[in-house]
Amino acid sequence: MPYRSLILVGVVAIAGAIAVPACYAPPSPTASSPTTGRTAWGDPDLQGVWRYEGAIPLERPSQLEGRDTLTAEEVAARERVEKEQEAKRLEGVEGAAVGRRSIAESPIRGNEYNSFWQDHGRPRQVSNRTSLIVDPPDGQLPFTPNAKKAEARAAARYGVGPFESYLDPDTGERCLTDGVTGMMWQGPNGGHNRIVQSPGYVTILHEEYRDRRVIPVDGRPHGSIRQWFGDAVGRWEGETLVVDTTNFVDRTNYEWANIWTRPSESLHLVERFKRVDPAAIEYTVTVDDPTTFTRAWTAMIPITKLPDDTQIYEYACHEGNYAMPNLLRGGRTDAARTSSR
Amino acid sequence: MRVVAKIVVVIAAAIAGAVLWTHLPLSAQADSYQPPRTASGVPDLNGIWQALNTANYDIQSHPARPALALIPASPRSATPGLDRATHVELPAPVVRPLGAVGGVPAGAGIVEGDEIPYQSWAVAKKKENADHWLERDPEIKCFMPGVPRAVYMPYPFQILQGTDKILIAYEFAGATRTIHMSTVGDSPSSTWMGWSRGHWDGNTLVVDVTDFNEETWFDRAGNFHSDALHVTERYTPVSPHHLMYEVTIEDPKVFTRPWKMRMPLYRRFDADAQIREYKCVEFVEQLLYGQLGVVDPATGTINK
Repeated sequence: MPYRSLILVGVVAIAGAIAVPACYAPPSPTASSPTTGRTAWGDPDLQGVWRYEGAIPLERPSQLEGRDTLTAEEVAARERVEKEQEAKRLEGVEGAAVGRRSIAESPIRGNEYNSFWQDHGRPRQVSNRTSLIVDPPDGQLPFTPNAKKAEARAAARYGVGPFESYLDPDTGERCLTDGVTGMMWQGPNGGHNRIVQSPGYVTILHEEYRDRRVIPVDGRPHGSIRQWFGDAVGRWEGETLVVDTTNFVDRTNYEWANIWTRPSESLHLVERFKRVDPAAIEYTVTVDDPTTFTRAWTAMIPITKLPDDTQIYEYACHEGNYAMPNLLRGGRTDAARTSSR
Repeated sequence: MRVVAKIVVVIAAAIAGAVLWTHLPLSAQADSYQPPRTASGVPDLNGIWQALNTANYDIQSHPARPALALIPASPRSATPGLDRATHVELPAPVVRPLGAVGGVPAGAGIVEGDEIPYQSWAVAKKKENADHWLERDPEIKCFMPGVPRAVYMPYPFQILQGTDKILIAYEFAGATRTIHMSTVGDSPSSTWMGWSRGHWDGNTLVVDVTDFNEETWFDRAGNFHSDALHVTERYTPVSPHHLMYEVTIEDPKVFTRPWKMRMPLYRRFDADAQIREYKCVEFVEQLLYGQLGVVDPATGTINK
């Protein structure tokens, strides 16, 4: 889920979310490769901490149906809104939306107790694009009818319950994962990802849930072991890293999880990391899963490099999951009240 | 000498050298071994490594025993002259169905001098931990294992040497450490896996690890530390297939002096050796939360 309720992870994750580069020492003068250069062993160098800082929705909003881009006036208006909201957040007047509510729907203007979880540190980047999805051309997720029902059911239960056992909250609340499909761009912390390269490997360390992908980029074929994060193999196409992931384990039985966290065995991801600028990767992900979608779809997501001294902090979610026992205790209290009526 | 004879001599010398090499103790090899270098010119520690010892059961020398949780056998009153059953200690009922799978193999300790210099109160705390192993060991709950325990748990880990960061990807609980090889600020908080700063001392990677919490253990025997823990690790390549791992433990709140552990780490070079997913949180939810909800998923019945 993109938003998590308050689970005490502690200052660590929050510090990561707020990203206070000023507190840290300047980057090392010994770093051996320029930002757009190559590693010492000759691969394109993608190392650093990256995240999606854009304000483009995944799916095209219905009021923009039929339009790929915004006009210059619309972009300017959105930039004004982003700046105003940013100023209000910094003043503490208005928090970010929590859960699936928008700020407008929230009775306390986004100042819910757990709005601190959101990253208020940087204004979002406005673009003239109307959806991250570039294919199909309508900018919509091509759900199968069954998957659409499952997704709607999960959405309706999120933050509402009933929570009768630990299987009822979504996989994020259970401190399991938010899944690999949205790892590069989802999350309240903006999806902070550290890329570290070593000969034959690209490793992506995602702050939330301490999710990690060690991707071999040495020409080996796919293995045969199914995993929640699948079996990823990478290759270089010129300057672009291409990662092909198959062999996902079936988690469709986690019916309250959303599509990002509930892979089926037929899921196939192809991701492309194209360095377009010293501080920008154009990341595209093509999602093919006949169990969930009627056709493959592709999203193109601009990812920004954060300052060199940005850190990924330890995300001890499960170790501090006081929310789970409390949620279940609340569920029992609710059930007892209902049965005594 | 004819060419063929020369080749024979060279091959014989090579074999003799290889035999001699493999029969030297690792410490002797370490003195002369020059590891391969990365493209940046530092020792190349990249690879998948694993300890092969019983330290995760107990970092000190220990005999084999029937289970991790034991209870004393009942006195045997029916036979005159015999007051105990055959074994003085038996597996506790909760672990008994595991049989030999639940047994603990004997092993030599990895602690220098085999003695952990606990302060007197801490000796009692360690024993209490051991007696309550089943409820207290963070490994059972799939909590991050801390350092150095992560190194000698029975799971592989991968060293990934980046430009100015070294990642260590552990299989257990998907824990990862970032070792900062250039200047970095302080940790904003205490942590499970510590805050790691590394540098090279000749062929040795030295990692200074601080900012621990007091939640992790050293092993299943209840050996513990406080949040004042300071760990200094030394990873030295001693052959193409071995690292010597030496770690110094300092914790003035718990120990009377610094102490050391030492063990070889072995390169995994099985076909398709990889760090696999071991998301054990899923495996322990029933244990931790099964009784807490309205319904117990294990039985499908209403919790009382």
